[in-house]
Amino acid sequence: MITSIAWKNVWRNRTRSLTVIAAVTVGVFAGVFAMAAINSSIVQRIDAAVNEELSHIQINHKEFRSSSDLKNVIPEPERVISVLQNIPEVTHIAERIIVRGIASTSAGSTGVEVTGINVEGEEEMFTLKTRLIPGTGSYFGSETRLNSAFIGEKLAKELYIIRYILTEESLGTLKESGVPSSVVEKLKPLEDQRFTTEKKLTEALAGLLSAREAKEYGMMIREAAWSYREGSRIILTFLDADDNQTGAAFRICGIFRTNNDLFEAMSVFVPENELRRLTGLGEGEYHRIIARLADNDLTDRVTPEVKEALPGLEVMHWKEIQTDLAMIADYMNQIYGIFMALILAALAFGIVNTMLMSVLERTRELGMLSAIGMNRRRVFTMIMLESIFLSVVGGFAGMLVSGVVIAITGHTGINLVKYSEGMEAFGYSAHLYPTIGADFFIMLTVLIVITGILSAVYPARKALQLNPVEALRGE
Amino acid sequence: MKDYQLAWRNLWRNRRRTLITAASVFFAVFFALVMRSFQLGTYEKMYRDVIESYTGYLQLQHTDYIDESSLDNGFIIDPELISMIEGDPNVTAVIPKLESFALAAAGSRTQGVMVIGMDPENEMKGLNIINRLVRYRLTPEAVEALKAESLPDRTGKLLDVFVNESFTDEASLISILGIGRPDTSDVLPLFRKHAAFKNGYLTSADSGYAVIGNGLSEYLHAGVGDTIVLMGQGYHGATAAGLYIIKGIVLMPQPEIDNRFVYLTLDDARYLYAAPGMATSAIISVRDTKEGDINMTRNRLGQITGDGLAIRTWKEMNALLLNQMEADNKSGAIMIGILYLVIAFGVFGTVLMMMAERRREFGMLVSIGMQKGKLAKVISMEMFLVGFLGVAAGVAGSLPIVFLGYARPLRFTGEMAKMYEDYGFDPVMPMLLPDTYYLWQVVIVLLILLIAITFSVRKIFKMNVINAVRA
Amino acid sequence: MQAAVFMIVSIPSGAQQLTATEIIRKADEKFNGELSGYSVMSMTIIRPTWERTVEFKSWSLEDDYALTLITAPAREKGQTFLKRGNEMWSWNPAISRLIKLPPSMMSQGWMGSDYTNDDILRESSVVNDYTHSVEGEEEIDGRLCHEIKLLAKDDADVLWGHQVWWVDKKEFIVLKAELYDEDGYLVRTERGTGLKTMDGRFIPSVIELVPAEEEGHKTILKIMEVKFNIELEESFFSQQNMKTIR
Repeated sequence: MITSIAWKNVWRNRTRSLTVIAAVTVGVFAGVFAMAAINSSIVQRIDAAVNEELSHIQINHKEFRSSSDLKNVIPEPERVISVLQNIPEVTHIAERIIVRGIASTSAGSTGVEVTGINVEGEEEMFTLKTRLIPGTGSYFGSETRLNSAFIGEKLAKELYIIRYILTEESLGTLKESGVPSSVVEKLKPLEDQRFTTEKKLTEALAGLLSAREAKEYGMMIREAAWSYREGSRIILTFLDADDNQTGAAFRICGIFRTNNDLFEAMSVFVPENELRRLTGLGEGEYHRIIARLADNDLTDRVTPEVKEALPGLEVMHWKEIQTDLAMIADYMNQIYGIFMALILAALAFGIVNTMLMSVLERTRELGMLSAIGMNRRRVFTMIMLESIFLSVVGGFAGMLVSGVVIAITGHTGINLVKYSEGMEAFGYSAHLYPTIGADFFIMLTVLIVITGILSAVYPARKALQLNPVEALRGE
Repeated sequence: MKDYQLAWRNLWRNRRRTLITAASVFFAVFFALVMRSFQLGTYEKMYRDVIESYTGYLQLQHTDYIDESSLDNGFIIDPELISMIEGDPNVTAVIPKLESFALAAAGSRTQGVMVIGMDPENEMKGLNIINRLVRYRLTPEAVEALKAESLPDRTGKLLDVFVNESFTDEASLISILGIGRPDTSDVLPLFRKHAAFKNGYLTSADSGYAVIGNGLSEYLHAGVGDTIVLMGQGYHGATAAGLYIIKGIVLMPQPEIDNRFVYLTLDDARYLYAAPGMATSAIISVRDTKEGDINMTRNRLGQITGDGLAIRTWKEMNALLLNQMEADNKSGAIMIGILYLVIAFGVFGTVLMMMAERRREFGMLVSIGMQKGKLAKVISMEMFLVGFLGVAAGVAGSLPIVFLGYARPLRFTGEMAKMYEDYGFDPVMPMLLPDTYYLWQVVIVLLILLIAITFSVRKIFKMNVINAVRA
Repeated sequence: MQAAVFMIVSIPSGAQQLTATEIIRKADEKFNGELSGYSVMSMTIIRPTWERTVEFKSWSLEDDYALTLITAPAREKGQTFLKRGNEMWSWNPAISRLIKLPPSMMSQGWMGSDYTNDDILRESSVVNDYTHSVEGEEEIDGRLCHEIKLLAKDDADVLWGHQVWWVDKKEFIVLKAELYDEDGYLVRTERGTGLKTMDGRFIPSVIELVPAEEEGHKTILKIMEVKFNIELEESFFSQQNMKTIR
């Protein structure tokens, strides 16, 4: 009975109800969306790092990371493999050879880390190959006689393997993608001129275009001029097992682009047997064994197990390798926690005020109810029920709205490319795809609805304090 | 009676209603200020820490150095120029330094390092690297000895986690090892006894000595008293090679720096790199670090440095950091925007309710002859007055929290603190003191109020008097 | 057709018609074979804003062993470098340390010059790692030269895409060489001048290296004294000798 009265009350004063519902909806939306955006950005970064760069668990010889000495191979790798295979959460295992060396082209040389991988064996695991820039090769797929190497874009740019040339074709492409002909005409003097660095191209553009044109079309021009000679040659030099300098020429079989500049600049992947042959390492000698788990969150539980089983080796959790990532994930959670607390508090106060006003507005009505015999408890319950309805309706509406918005932006992405330079240097994608775990979603909504309900307590109590006689007399 | 008098009287006629409405504005302002202060404080601190510990706010460099930071783009530093720069009102010190790459070797291990040559007396006027000297180290022996003593539980456990870690001061010991305030006076002396680290620092008179980063020391397996070799290429291609005895070990923020840090006296560095009288840059320490002050100082100094040299601001030197700051700021703005959304509804709701409650009153007034326009005016004034009341209260209420947060920022302990320190950040969550951002938040809240008022005025004009009276 | 006739007519009397590869082989042997022994050289490094000269004595055996002692300027004097196969060692009396140079140390030019690690240590063969073709003739410094194009083989580990050499027809001295990257852009030009007879052989006494993409950069090597085919044992090229050689 009270329930139906409460329900009718809610809809009797539409404006008031809608305001409260709207407030709760906005609260839910705000909290959930913000969380989704922040969460996704971090999850993306972690996933990328873990799957493409690190894997969940890395196992090395104890001295390997500090001295990078070729001789620091893992003792008894078969035992490590069997330990890992016995853990059900481990989905993939890979063994690798790692050598520090120099990569050179006629443009110069730079220090790199060369990793020898088992291409067929890591077919499923090596997700970095999904980052291959289309048109730069076929990832160890083709049949060249020469050794193949898979390198990062940053490295390719440093060694002038990637350069910028405005060919006739690329100028045509620019016109098609909407760059005005007047601008393209201005670029004519640069046709077929090779720019070895992005900076040199930008300088040349600054000389020919106005500041506004350079700003607006600069990025498109750079993209159109980006070019690469397929199968470019690169010389890798390193010390072999006898400490002699050795090396060989490799052909680039693909260039990958991640969001991690450092990784791109330092990493070179080659077939394991080639590297073994050149360095003179024995069969079955490896420097690193990596394990992929079914889920990122399992790492916390599994790593100690592995550490216990392999006491003589260095077993590393990805968080230990990239402490900054781990820190940022936790830091963000803290910031978010405080933010949510503030939102909930703001929401609570907003609702308290609104409901209070609403109660005051209904003094006559409430007084009437008391006068005709409705006891205090019932009045209190009635008001509370109203709040519950409002909060729940608001909560659902909020879930709906945020769900839709997240689904849309999760698909199309939020574009922060203007800040991409800073973000990408730290490994973050400049495109945000908000996502949120289902459990989080529900928990947040429940929390917010509870806040709504609790906020109504004070006004409801106030309602009880109204003196029916005074109330009936009007204010 | 004047309109505003009427408005004022109205407010106090129904005190409860007034207070509730004022309260909604108060909360809005309060939350906005606290949150913003918090956000801005955190960003400020993060970036200032990095700037102050490494690049400084202004630097004197060769004009080409900013594009190519090689030794060949160094310049001869003239003592007269230094005194002229020091003469500037905002400048507290000028610290020339010679910086270049080298290979450091000890035993069979080599590592690429950055060698920084500065005069230690000079350097202490601005950078205070001496503050980063390792003072405590939890060697396995120290940990054993400490465990034998009576320590709070938490600290005892954390000792195992942080074995072999180095600490630069007692504050970080306290925060990272979770030593509670009541225990400090008992526990700290134990650390001083068992975990103190013997260390030293460069003096201007030293020659042949180096202070190196903790990470580098661990990598090379070389400690205080050991010798390291530095080799590389000097100015104009000359060979650079020298032997240096390690005099001290410092723990630098950020591992990338700590693993590659070698500090020599300026004279030693000049000799090593065959660059007599030269510097690659000179850090200019300033007193007032606000943006406006820095730019003005830069402009003044730019006048006296002449051709071939340039004064660079920290923004020019840290383009990447800047980009990240902007991104952070924008995301912070989004968060605040969301907060405002929530707040706005709170304010609207309250105002709406107030209007609804007084419908009868308004209807009465209009029916006895008050112009709708005049009514609207009076109501608007009421709301503005309430608004100002709420704002004033909000500002007043936020100040204690902000000041408290500034003086005693939230501190982290344990693993969290260690991670912060590893990454170069002080493990705190600070607040920013009142600044222009205060004004902004107030303005925004008032804007929200304005919208609410506009709505109300419209309602008044659309009001059907007869229905209103019967409400 | 006409060019072919011209070429047949102008073959030096007594010489058979040489293939491009044979020309290169002769030029290579002349250059490498001749510099076995002992030499005193000066290397001047020229940059837009400065210039520096280093003087050194050098002993070498075939292409595999070399010992170099720096004699000037004063700051560098006494340093020695030892090459054995593709290892490089350095001794610096200032620090009394014998150091094996890791590849990373060598990525900047040797002693600040335009000679790179690749030039000094890499063992690529102009004869075996390239295919050769005669492109014509040209006069360089008043001497008639074969113009030969050297195209890097697919699987060779050389940095260059192709090279063009101007080899003196009479003496098989490389008077000019242009080195191109894989895109076909000129990276470096080398010139041999100052032809004279030293220790009985006719050789270029000045070699210039000019990087193409840097304005005002040049490295000039001058041979001041040279002795060919002196008695040298492999044992001469030792770490011990690095410290004591004068």
